Amino acid sequence: MKIRTLIATNAALLLVVAFSSQAADKILFRAKPGKDMKMRLEGTSTVHDWQVEGPIIGGSLEVGAGFPTEPGQAATPGKMDAIADVRIPVNSLKSIEKDGKPYSDKMDEIMIGKLKCPPNRFITFHLTELVLKETAKAKDAPYIFEAKGELAVAGTTNKITMPVEITPLGDKKLKITGTTSVSMKDYGVEAPVLVGILSTGDKVKLIFDWPVVAAAPAAAK
Amino acid sequence: MNEATDMNDHDVKAADTNRRDFLKGGSVATLMGLMGGVRLFGQTAAEPAPVGKPAVAKYKVGVIGLGRWGREVLNTLALAPQAAVGAYQVEVAAICDNYPSSVRRAGEVVPGAAKTEDYKVILENKDIPAVIISTPTHKHKDIVLAALKAGKHVYCEAPLANNLADAREIALAAKAFPRQIFQAGLQDFSDPERTFLLPFIRSGGLGKNVMTRAQFHKKYSWRQQSPNTQREKDINWCLDKTVSLGLLGEVGIHPLGQAAWFLNAKPAAITAFGSILVYTDDGRDVADTVQAICEFPGGIRMTYDVTLGNSFDGNYEMFYGTDGALMLRDSKAWMFKETDAALGGWEVYASKTRFYNETGIALMAGASKGKVSTPTAAEESPALKNPLFYSLGNFVRNSSDYTNAIADYTANFGDDQDGLLKHLNENVHKRAAAGFLEGYQATVTAVKASEAALTGKRVEIAPDLYELK
Repeated sequence: MKIRTLIATNAALLLVVAFSSQAADKILFRAKPGKDMKMRLEGTSTVHDWQVEGPIIGGSLEVGAGFPTEPGQAATPGKMDAIADVRIPVNSLKSIEKDGKPYSDKMDEIMIGKLKCPPNRFITFHLTELVLKETAKAKDAPYIFEAKGELAVAGTTNKITMPVEITPLGDKKLKITGTTSVSMKDYGVEAPVLVGILSTGDKVKLIFDWPVVAAAPAAAK
Repeated sequence: MNEATDMNDHDVKAADTNRRDFLKGGSVATLMGLMGGVRLFGQTAAEPAPVGKPAVAKYKVGVIGLGRWGREVLNTLALAPQAAVGAYQVEVAAICDNYPSSVRRAGEVVPGAAKTEDYKVILENKDIPAVIISTPTHKHKDIVLAALKAGKHVYCEAPLANNLADAREIALAAKAFPRQIFQAGLQDFSDPERTFLLPFIRSGGLGKNVMTRAQFHKKYSWRQQSPNTQREKDINWCLDKTVSLGLLGEVGIHPLGQAAWFLNAKPAAITAFGSILVYTDDGRDVADTVQAICEFPGGIRMTYDVTLGNSFDGNYEMFYGTDGALMLRDSKAWMFKETDAALGGWEVYASKTRFYNETGIALMAGASKGKVSTPTAAEESPALKNPLFYSLGNFVRNSSDYTNAIADYTANFGDDQDGLLKHLNENVHKRAAAGFLEGYQATVTAVKASEAALTGKRVEIAPDLYELK
């Protein structure tokens, strides 16, 4: 009995040590608000192209060992240990002119309505798989990934795959950028039609710049 | 929010626009003139309605003070709530007045609103993020200070107060709460017509400014009746010089404030003469007729006359320059060009209106960049689209944007105060509105103008009086 107890205790200790070691390898990055953060939507219409921007992309990214977090860090292509949850407040999205000036409150009103906010206050993305496709070609160059996940818009969730570029900036900062295109119909969003004036195209391009910074480790209890 | 950013970015940028930009912006409008009429309108009113009904969230406001102007505020909010606030349908969730009959009467306009005689009840209600304060001028201060302390966005009617000390206290309190919108009830600052004309005048569209003139002519007593003697005294506070700034302060604050805004200058002195000529036996001690000369730096003067004894020609404001004169009536504008002024080209196509021997070239705001410029029926309705409508609409939009931005930011990044203020200043587009500084400065002018009317003397206004320290 004593030997069995010893073995069980040692096994449990090993598990705890292994788990602790694994947890210690994880790095949690949180969204860092500022001028570099931008969510942009681009679309077409029968009259002119339109664009919408928002300054808030909230959420976090947690990565495990082997993920390139520093400039020029060696990394092996393949599936990465990474999870992320991202959310964009619908109310923060505003239509703009090509030069960045505010476009129209009416357009914002229509968009918010079409995105069914309320009750869907956020557009969310849950990362389910991140695969490193290409390592950085230079110290300040991005690593090229393929991201798979669930994108929820206007209360409808679909699986998507999109290319993502991640550039380690040093000081535990990452610049994450990406572009993908979605069909509004896939999310149950009717293309807005303005009486006798214009109708918008179904495809919308999503472009994001998402700076994140490593969160300070939690203080020991 | 500091003093520099208190006035919305749109206005500041607009003021920097040059004359060429203005004329370029009006080019589509002028083409419309070929069809027989061009007038200056704002972009927001000209946009088409969407097919289908978007989801509408309610944005709750409380209205405190239900006298003559408070009812005007309620009626404006009740007439066109959706148009006023876009995706946020304004809901007057509570109304307050210390006189029960006023609450009952106002309640007929907004039957769903909670009714109270104690404004603190509204301030304690966490579901109401914004309040509109339309009490008598001398009663603003305590309510504004309490509302700001309670975390509300505040719309305070102009003048902010009936004396400089109270006005300064209100403005400084508003400055101390940068997470909250404070809007002074200078509704002209939100009028699309006027925000369009601002860069035109400031950039020399009228040539060299030489003078300005305004009038308010109306045949009415300014008195309200009540069967209750004390109540009648209370509701006619504006006829009592111990608490009222009189016609020049209470009514004149708008054209005086507008002139300062357009000319980008503060009055340096005011001379005024007031008399009680018509309503000599109703106990009032404020003048029913006042004439004033307001001196701006650089030798430009504004003459303003206001009377309750004659209604001829109503209300309007004029700005005179070496190239032409601009007339503003309600939310419409016309330019009268001098014969020796250079032709810009656009005038040829613009709509013209005859005014006796003169031809007014009508101007239309925002009819550019492919936006629809045809006036809608609603646009033509002064009841719906007057400066108060735009002013209240912009207040609710700005307030709801702040409420949302704060909620979104803190939900994602926590309660980082510096970061949040940066976010509000950099990322939230505020619609045209008079802030605490504009409200304070216009109140300084109104108080001094009232002083001039009471004394019949020239009252100088030191430049540092306009500074908010």
